[in-house]
Amino acid sequence: MNNIAQRDAFWNKIYEIAAADRNVVLISADMGAPSLDKFRKDLPAQFVNAGIAEQNAVLIGAGLALKGKKVYLYAIAPFITLRCLEQIRVECSIMNIPMTIAGVGAGMSYEDSGPTHHALEDIAIMRSMPNITIHNITDSVMARAVAAMSYNIKNTTYVRIDREVFPDIYSPDTVFTAGASVVKTGKDFYLVSTGCMTHTALQVAKRLEERSIHAGVIDIYRFPINEAFLMETLRGVKKIVTLEEHFLAGGLGSALGEVIIDNSLPVKLRRLGIGHDKGFCYKYGGREVIREYYGLDKGSLERKIEEFLKD
Amino acid sequence: MSGSAGSLKNKSYELRKRVLDMCVKAGTGHVTSSLSSVDIMVALYYGGILKYDTDNPQWNARDRFILSKGQASPLLYAVLADTGFFELSELDRFAQLDGMFGVHLQWDVPGVELTSGSLGHGFGVAAGIALGALMDKDLFMVFTLLGDGECYEGSIWESAMFAAHNKLNNLVAIVDRNYLCVTDFTENIIALEPMEDKWRACGWNVKRVNGHSIEDIVEALAYVRCRRSHKPLVLIADTVKGEGIECLTNNPIWHGQAPKGKDAEMARVCLLMRQDNE
Repeated sequence: MNNIAQRDAFWNKIYEIAAADRNVVLISADMGAPSLDKFRKDLPAQFVNAGIAEQNAVLIGAGLALKGKKVYLYAIAPFITLRCLEQIRVECSIMNIPMTIAGVGAGMSYEDSGPTHHALEDIAIMRSMPNITIHNITDSVMARAVAAMSYNIKNTTYVRIDREVFPDIYSPDTVFTAGASVVKTGKDFYLVSTGCMTHTALQVAKRLEERSIHAGVIDIYRFPINEAFLMETLRGVKKIVTLEEHFLAGGLGSALGEVIIDNSLPVKLRRLGIGHDKGFCYKYGGREVIREYYGLDKGSLERKIEEFLKD
Repeated sequence: MSGSAGSLKNKSYELRKRVLDMCVKAGTGHVTSSLSSVDIMVALYYGGILKYDTDNPQWNARDRFILSKGQASPLLYAVLADTGFFELSELDRFAQLDGMFGVHLQWDVPGVELTSGSLGHGFGVAAGIALGALMDKDLFMVFTLLGDGECYEGSIWESAMFAAHNKLNNLVAIVDRNYLCVTDFTENIIALEPMEDKWRACGWNVKRVNGHSIEDIVEALAYVRCRRSHKPLVLIADTVKGEGIECLTNNPIWHGQAPKGKDAEMARVCLLMRQDNE
């Protein structure tokens, strides 16, 4: 466990790549971080500050990519996906110009900054477009591995980075090509989660274990979902609960539901995430307080899961 | 100028006729938006300004031309066919079954650099290419043609500030200032003037030219590769929407549609009369 920020794990690896290839260019929408400061100081010719202007950042990135550069964009998650969504649609999706869009602040990781900074619909929106791959980062090991993979992308990749520092759950030699991983085996049912909620899922599974409920945990870290992997892994499974710190509309649960329906899987699915009934919120006191409001705290999750299992 | 003034004028007429023919046949296309840009495009493609190789559209050292006002695609397609990027017969299939291209600009057509249709994109991408060229010490220039209505898009000004700050003196923007949008004249919608001041305030060198004088445009761009200024250059080219076909000019109703039936015949006659008068 190295327990470093996903952001730093990602940018430290990109720094190594950029130091070896001057065609790598980082465009920041006025974002600061120690790992970025090192890049800016040591590789100034490869660092571009686009200002607080995400539309311009994507356009400049597209132009640089057309010129043969390997382009990395960086800004706060809802801004670098939504403010410039139509630029992403035209340049990245329609024209399939490859670039890596790194957004920091997955889910409610901006906590007290409020709903303008919470990323609760970005997975739904980004996965609705062709030629866009989403990597929702679970830990710093994955962040570094995704950074390494991003050097050879053929289409635009949105890397969704959490601000919170989580314990690493993956070993450094993990290969992240499947897009999903069984991080805990189980026999009674499966918790399917993404990003930060995989850590929660593991904690919930552990607590359920104490009551002799054996839950498996699958971490979906890439969209579109690897259907073949899921079909194989979920064979014979009767019940699935999805966990996501994201609106239910279009998120992980929706995506998994599509796989289940399309393949006529005989399985019961319960989606746990943020309903539109609760909407956006201004709640202060940290991420757990916000999760309690949305019913995504561990206690609420356990209760809902147990009710679902009784059905 | 590589062609004589007379032959360039003839080329303008020829391109106007091609634009009208292809749009009338297809029953669609932005005729008037194309017509206002014809003389600018003749200056660029036939006046010795742009470097391009029709046999090798992806030639590394080519100048990049980005049509940011992608609704003028019929004009660019006519130019690309006429210069030899693809067969002229392709124009007959404009926006039709089995055609190579349609109403808005498509990047996979030989000679086209970028998809366009949604406004405010091409200009910023052009700035990105220009930045990449400076990073790589490439000598080609990046030219981009904007509509004046396109300048309502906020991203234009984000990119304008960026280009000036990053000293992209290999970037040339031309604003087709035809004063007309979809529903009304720009100065009635939201005033765009003083246009020169806006660009100058963003850090650009600004020249205002008669957008229907090929000579003036060529002259304004003649030494564009050896300017001493670090600033990017914008030409604000005053034009008339529908120029060359009087019955289509200065009336917003003709935005985004091709004349049909008697209107099409009238347009042809207008174009012919204009040619005879010159």
